[in-house]
Amino acid sequence: MAAKKTSMYRTQRRIFSVLYFVAIFILLVIFLSPFLWMVYCSFKTPIELSKLPVNWLKGLTMDNYQKVFVQQNFFKFIKNSVIVAAGSTFFGLLIGLPASYSIARHGQKKLSMLILTSRIVPGITFLLPLYIMFRELKMVDTYTSLILAHMLTGLPFIVWLMTPFFESLPKELGEAAVVDGASSLRTFVSIVLPLSVPGIVTATILSFTFSWNNFMFSIVLATNRTRTVPVAIYNFISYASIDWGGLMAAATVITLPILVLAVITQRYVIRGMTAGAVKG
Amino acid sequence: MKRLNLLLVLILILSSVLSVSAQDKPFDGQTIRVVLANHAWTDAVAPKIPEFEALTGIKVEWESYGEEQLNQKLTTEFIAGNAGVDVFMTRPLQEGANMEMNGWYYDLAEKTAADVEYDFEDFTESSRSATTFNGTITAIPLVTEQEILYYRKDILEENGIEVPTTLDELYAAAEKLNDPANEFYGFVARGQRSPLVTQLSSFIYSYGGDWFDRDTYTATLNTPETLAGIEMYSNLLKNFGPPGVLNMHWAQCIGIFNEKKVAFYTDASSLYPNLLDPTKSDVAEVTGCAVFPAGPAGAVMYDITAWGLSIYAESQNKDAAWEFIRWATGKENSLFIQGEKAQQLARTSVWNDPEGIKSFPADWAAAVAGSIGAKSYDRPLITAVTEARDLIGGIVVTAIEGGDYLKAADEANVKFQEMLNNEKP
Repeated sequence: MAAKKTSMYRTQRRIFSVLYFVAIFILLVIFLSPFLWMVYCSFKTPIELSKLPVNWLKGLTMDNYQKVFVQQNFFKFIKNSVIVAAGSTFFGLLIGLPASYSIARHGQKKLSMLILTSRIVPGITFLLPLYIMFRELKMVDTYTSLILAHMLTGLPFIVWLMTPFFESLPKELGEAAVVDGASSLRTFVSIVLPLSVPGIVTATILSFTFSWNNFMFSIVLATNRTRTVPVAIYNFISYASIDWGGLMAAATVITLPILVLAVITQRYVIRGMTAGAVKG
Repeated sequence: MKRLNLLLVLILILSSVLSVSAQDKPFDGQTIRVVLANHAWTDAVAPKIPEFEALTGIKVEWESYGEEQLNQKLTTEFIAGNAGVDVFMTRPLQEGANMEMNGWYYDLAEKTAADVEYDFEDFTESSRSATTFNGTITAIPLVTEQEILYYRKDILEENGIEVPTTLDELYAAAEKLNDPANEFYGFVARGQRSPLVTQLSSFIYSYGGDWFDRDTYTATLNTPETLAGIEMYSNLLKNFGPPGVLNMHWAQCIGIFNEKKVAFYTDASSLYPNLLDPTKSDVAEVTGCAVFPAGPAGAVMYDITAWGLSIYAESQNKDAAWEFIRWATGKENSLFIQGEKAQQLARTSVWNDPEGIKSFPADWAAAVAGSIGAKSYDRPLITAVTEARDLIGGIVVTAIEGGDYLKAADEANVKFQEMLNNEKP
């Protein structure tokens, strides 16, 4: 009787695990197929791209990538985007982490609402004032102006993500440190920050991605010198003609850094999640 | 002493040389900022800019953007005022009326009138009238385009069908060739609400209709003539168009035409490389071009100036900016850009020169030549172009969906009239 029950459980569990994998597989197909199609198309000649049914092995070429890196010099645009995204994320964290710690510890709800308003107001509202300001300061087409503008979207996000995270840390930890004679800054740097790595990593990835994909500020505040990838990708769309192959290659190239960043930092995020689970 | 003399002579010679070159290059050392669109015209001109710089001593800082991005960037900079722009590319039909009203264009009348060598009269009349708003010459016409008929030569030949010269013939031919069971369709054109309006225009004009009466500012979206044009366009798409036509812009139309699934396609002549270039299209060999078919009012297609080159009203370097424009759009460069780079320009002398049309397919060139001088607009020429396009496109979408388009046209006409009342000078 007992044996029968166990085997029933076993079958049941097997069925569930099969269903589980089927569900994962379906989800993967849905999410990955446009991405894989993009990567595949980036290796096709223009004439083969428009053909149906698809001939999978015909018309493969590296021309599109040659266009991206040699003709259009995407290295420069990627460099610009990395500088701006890294810069705005770094300074966003530098200001945002202490700010959200303070908000969390001292319950400064009004302050955090104030910061949130800059996310609620549509970004385009800031566009004109920012442009006029930077123009008067002769800072149009500089990294500084782009980094500052991108912080406008990144910083509130970091604050709102990190505040609950800091709130969830036990207060006693900080108090213990203070009893042992640590200053607030020391407590923050040596105790709170190391415990918050998963949160910080998540904030970093998302803030970096926001900046990486930001189009609106980049189109107006940058011209040739500091043009970023979301603007540069339009180089493949011209009046009355679209270079689909080049477009797909460029899209693949600009997705890659974000993908790599996500894969590298993923284990930190997972570690953070499991650490929380064990604690209960 | 001798040495000193020699030195003096040298200095004299040198200074005279310098003064001559200074006369030749009155703008030497100036810098202009030129903001262009991503366009084959830009690709043709950009490599020649160093030539211009060497010739005049003007330093050109140029940048280019996608169509909508260009508009967004320019508008932001212009609204902020005192922008550093000198020369910019502009779409007379889309934003011309609006930018003129805001006073962002420098009136080129004086420059063009004073420059005999440049010969502004050489530009086609429709292109000149297209860039003139309220008496202001807002831009030099760059590239033009007309609505033409693309068709499959092989399919027509197999079925013993002549190239349609009237819209009724086109309808009959599309009906005969339409074979949805085998995934072959008689006709395709833009079905997306706003983009379709420009390609609908030639249908409406050829039935004697128009958007509104330009003298009295009376909306004419529900007149029998305009409705007849709308009916022809929507019936072609509804009865013989491919599935999902309501989501089709030109890129999707080109796609399905290149998949060998369509017999006829009406759209802008500027799209021809997508169909006739063997490196881009599988049907290059079997695609023909013809003049837009005639309706009861004749074949009245659009002949528009898609892009123009303008000087910003607040530019600090207007003379140097004009020097750039007259170089870029002068006779010599125009012959090069049209003859060698196959761009469709607006200079009559270039069209009359065999060198100027040598890169074009013969039947395409004939179709275009047969369209020059027709209507200079393909959408209502008002400041609220975007809203008007949505309104008009809505009637056609209703008709294709099989809805009550007569009612839709009446309603749209009332709303359109309200817009016109605001625009009335």
